[in-house]
Amino acid sequence: MKNIEFLRNVSIGMYVEGNSPVHRLSPAAKYAWLLAVILPASFAGSSAVVGSLAATCLGFALLARIRPLSLLRGFLPVLPLVGLAAFLQVAFTWPQDRSAVILAAGPLSLTVREVLSVVSMALRFATMMLALGLFTSVITEGDTARGVEDLLAPLERFGFPARGLGLTVAVAFRFIPIVAGEMEAIVKAQAARGADLGSRRGGPIRRARAYLPLLVPVTVRALERAEALAEAMEARGWSSGPRTRYAVSGGGRWDFLVKLGALAYAGAALAASAALG
Amino acid sequence: MEKSSVRGIVVSGALGAVSVVLAVTPLGYLPWFGGISLTVMHIPAIVAAVLEGPWAGVSVGLIFGVTSLVKAAVAPIGPLDPLFTNPLVSVLPRLAIGLAAWGVYAVFRGRFRPVAAALAGAVGSFVNTALVLTMLGLTAAAQISGVFGVEPGALPAVLAGIAVSNGLLEAAAAAVFTAAIVSAWKGIEGGSGKARLAREEGDGK
Repeated sequence: MKNIEFLRNVSIGMYVEGNSPVHRLSPAAKYAWLLAVILPASFAGSSAVVGSLAATCLGFALLARIRPLSLLRGFLPVLPLVGLAAFLQVAFTWPQDRSAVILAAGPLSLTVREVLSVVSMALRFATMMLALGLFTSVITEGDTARGVEDLLAPLERFGFPARGLGLTVAVAFRFIPIVAGEMEAIVKAQAARGADLGSRRGGPIRRARAYLPLLVPVTVRALERAEALAEAMEARGWSSGPRTRYAVSGGGRWDFLVKLGALAYAGAALAASAALG
Repeated sequence: MEKSSVRGIVVSGALGAVSVVLAVTPLGYLPWFGGISLTVMHIPAIVAAVLEGPWAGVSVGLIFGVTSLVKAAVAPIGPLDPLFTNPLVSVLPRLAIGLAAWGVYAVFRGRFRPVAAALAGAVGSFVNTALVLTMLGLTAAAQISGVFGVEPGALPAVLAGIAVSNGLLEAAAAAVFTAAIVSAWKGIEGGSGKARLAREEGDGK
């Protein structure tokens, strides 16, 4: 197996240290704006709405002093796909396509609708990339969990376990390096015993079976650790009364206004996309 | 000891971490013949639902879904990754994995336990495949027919073909893995008491 050292490859966060107005927002406000951009971006049919969502992300990136190009570097591997989609759009004609023809060469024709379809696909993807890339750049691991709890806290009065979900996310973050480390140790141990994961030899059933002695111990070890952690937390009185927090991330009046702004923005974007079709 | 809420929460977190690690390393895919890979990243969500109930299954499914959303946007690799930046495709179907798996396990729990776990694994996995493909078909019909190079009208048939070929294989793999993990864990729980790790570390180091 080529990549046996998983710890080095595990990186989903890309937090960039900073003290900009965007960094200083409370975690819940960051979540609110993230949702205010990606939810309309996934529903909106009109490219104008998606484009203005992307412009909003660019504005936030400038405010946070994060170069937009660094957020979009993931776009390169996808360019071949956009090219392929563009080619297929040109090669096949849509039966109900009545829009103006821009270029025509023999059986191939390029219509306005085909161009729009490719552009809007690329634009939507770039918007998602900007929004999520920016979000992971300005939020720390701890805040990711606290933000979930803060954002969902109003739902607690309806019985939604916001606090539990926040803790679940926090535990998951804490366990990621541990699980990656154990996975590495188990892969090495199995390799030392002659297992060849990821090789091309043997039938598909045999190759799939090679994963059994990897997945089972990794999951069972994680469960053992979780059990120990749960007992330790119970012994220290977790879940026996109201909980206080070491890091306070409530935010003041300004933060509340920012959250309201996110709500209004999402509403406006959804309304605009409904109006423009 | 009585099952407590903190246990469910912490177990969900730990299994969520397993699913994140599977999602960001190459180990989340079983190499199968041809260019096809079978995913095993959804198995932690099924295990959580079987061990700790529907709420744990949904939490792990949420963590898995958000991971695949962020991964598709921040570090895309496959041709279908851009379509997974839509939360309707990457997050929503994953919440159903735990619910389906728990429902099946709750019905068959009284019988032989590994068989109930295997059934829960198969159903949870197939629900994942079917819902993801349905959402792809609903949200991005034009792009997908571009990727597969078929006319948009033929798309439902193509997606159904994938659901049957890939989905059934993944369901079979999930059945084997879930049964193996659940029986290994239940064996430990019954045989040598809980929290073996805590004891090992307590007297060992």
